Amino acid sequence: MLRDIIKKEILDNITSPKFVFTFLLCTILILLSIYTGVTNYRAEKKEYTAALALNKKNMESQPNYQSLAGIGIKVSKPPQVLGTVVTGIEEAVGRVAPVNIAADPNLIDSKYSSNPVFAVFGSLDLMFIVKIVLSLFAILFTYDAIVGEKEKGTLKLALSNDVPRDRLILGKAIGGYISLLLPLLIPLVLGLLILLITPDISLSGQDWARLLLIFLMFFLYLSVFFSLGLFVSARTSRSSTSFLVLLFIWVVFVMVIPKVAVITAGQIRPIPSVHEITAKKDAFLQQIQSEGQKGFIEWTKKNAAEAQKDVKAYQEKFRKFIQDYQQELTSKIDENNAALERDYQQMKRAQQSLAVNLSRISPASALTFGSMTLARTGIDDFDRFLASVRAYKPIYTKWINSKLGQSINFQTGEQVQIKIDDMPQHIYEPQWLSRSLVRTIPDFALLAVMIIVFFVGAYVSFLRYDVR
Amino acid sequence: MLETINLTKRYEDGELALDGLTFKVEPGEIFCMFGANGAGKTTAINLFLNFIPATSGTALIEGIDVAKDPLKAKRHVSFVSENVMLYGNFTAIQNLDYFSRLAGKRNLAKKDYAAVLERVGLQKEAFDRRVKNFSKGMRQKLGIAIAVVKDAANVLLDEPTSGLDPQSGREFLEILVQMRDTGKSVFMSTHDIFRAKLIADRIGFMRKGRLVMMKTAKELAHEDLTDLYIQYMEEQPGQPAQPAASV
Repeated sequence: MLRDIIKKEILDNITSPKFVFTFLLCTILILLSIYTGVTNYRAEKKEYTAALALNKKNMESQPNYQSLAGIGIKVSKPPQVLGTVVTGIEEAVGRVAPVNIAADPNLIDSKYSSNPVFAVFGSLDLMFIVKIVLSLFAILFTYDAIVGEKEKGTLKLALSNDVPRDRLILGKAIGGYISLLLPLLIPLVLGLLILLITPDISLSGQDWARLLLIFLMFFLYLSVFFSLGLFVSARTSRSSTSFLVLLFIWVVFVMVIPKVAVITAGQIRPIPSVHEITAKKDAFLQQIQSEGQKGFIEWTKKNAAEAQKDVKAYQEKFRKFIQDYQQELTSKIDENNAALERDYQQMKRAQQSLAVNLSRISPASALTFGSMTLARTGIDDFDRFLASVRAYKPIYTKWINSKLGQSINFQTGEQVQIKIDDMPQHIYEPQWLSRSLVRTIPDFALLAVMIIVFFVGAYVSFLRYDVR
Repeated sequence: MLETINLTKRYEDGELALDGLTFKVEPGEIFCMFGANGAGKTTAINLFLNFIPATSGTALIEGIDVAKDPLKAKRHVSFVSENVMLYGNFTAIQNLDYFSRLAGKRNLAKKDYAAVLERVGLQKEAFDRRVKNFSKGMRQKLGIAIAVVKDAANVLLDEPTSGLDPQSGREFLEILVQMRDTGKSVFMSTHDIFRAKLIADRIGFMRKGRLVMMKTAKELAHEDLTDLYIQYMEEQPGQPAQPAASV
């Protein structure tokens, strides 16, 4: 009997105009999103390779270490291959972090900053399609699942037989869910084929595992709206009422809660603006520069007599002084900036964490955070990258300071030709799958809980449903 | 056999929809129940199908208490409702196949369904047409075909002839007569006194949840049913149902 109900449900859905419409739209949107994702990734990869080469060439072409210290180096964030399906914040946040002695590294040069029109409409990635379009389809498939049958009279007719209600709701749920997945699975498989055959895209075993987990999250997210649709359909006596209620809940879940959560977190845990932090850093930098000038003058006055006696010894002493003094001053700047940054980041993390946790009431937020973490295109990944650049800065500073000291030739006044072969390299270790998985457990759990709650609600409501 | 014993239904809002209803429909009998809208006819059917719980009293199908064992009781009853839309995207045969399977009839072939549809008077061209394009009469024929395929010993019909054209109405009555002749107990709630008079073995009048009059076809032979209908619908009865010979 269950098989008959499932079969009927699938047949009833796939012969309906809404299925044809959903299937066509899903195919077009999913394939378009993956194609766009692949095209963007290839362009970003090219850009990244070019940026690395350009950066190296730029550094090598500097006449001396002073000049190199002035321009610093640019650390580029490598594009993530799973950005093809979940763009995340990649386009909104900068892709380059300049590292130099004076300034604290920050991400600049985002796609949105270079072309703000992209920011107006956002990106059309697969997550967007699942979050907005397919969740609406899930509602479209279920809003009249129970109440529609009541209106048609088929529910009474079915239940006039020895059909247990639990079997009927189970059959409707399974059949309806399969019908919803059909228009999704076919274009998804085609999309995966695009990923497989595109030459510049190579997915590692870990990437495939991540991709499967992202798809699992998509299915869970759609299941939330599917079971919610069943629930509301089993609680209403008119399909028009059911649709309106579901639409209202959808707007609240997808549009309102995530934004309100961020605003609320900002109110509960306010943080100073970036400008305030920068102003504090600049003030300290000026203070150090002024102290540095004084120290330099004092040192030269104090050692002026030595310069008359033994020039060579004086030059060596001066070289040593410059090297140590520069290092001392930059260390002070770094320490101060690091302390300011640490406090700021701590406050920012607390605010972010509150916003994320508040917004998780919405399945849309759980989907967004979970899939971005799995695709390594979320806030975590950018924080990790920036942290790695900040950790690299003192290493670089130490290297450039040592080079600055050694580069002064007091005899000839010539500058030493720069060599960057021994320059320490920035290393960025992307997050491991196990770590990402741990971070997404709350999101998976929340989606699972919502599915269970809504489905149990639908189940219990249907057992008591007034079929008249 | 269909039977109610002191069946009472009071809704949550306090409305008394059925007040101590007692009647019996024997095998091979058509019982037509009249009453204005809200008199309690449909409530009685809903109680037989266990769609709502009774406040007190018992509804029995083949001697099985529907409140105690609803699934077992429903095996012995077919139901035809007033205005069933069915699955619009399905053809007549697909609809018939689905409801037959729900009724436990799994081994029927397309030709079996075609034979039933032909028997209820549906045109052959309509067998494979989508039901959403059917007229009300065609849908009612399909509804009765679903009941015919189930072949239960008892049939409940909730105003099945409303909106049917004369030809469809006549074909419909012929099928009910065939059902009775094969020994089925048929309970039909209706306003259609003319058609009911043609086939009913007994009729009952309900008013405000009470069965206020019951007569056999023999007793009605020399009476004007229209006058009776008007009389019982307007009168404040104050009396319980007059017992009829078969009760």
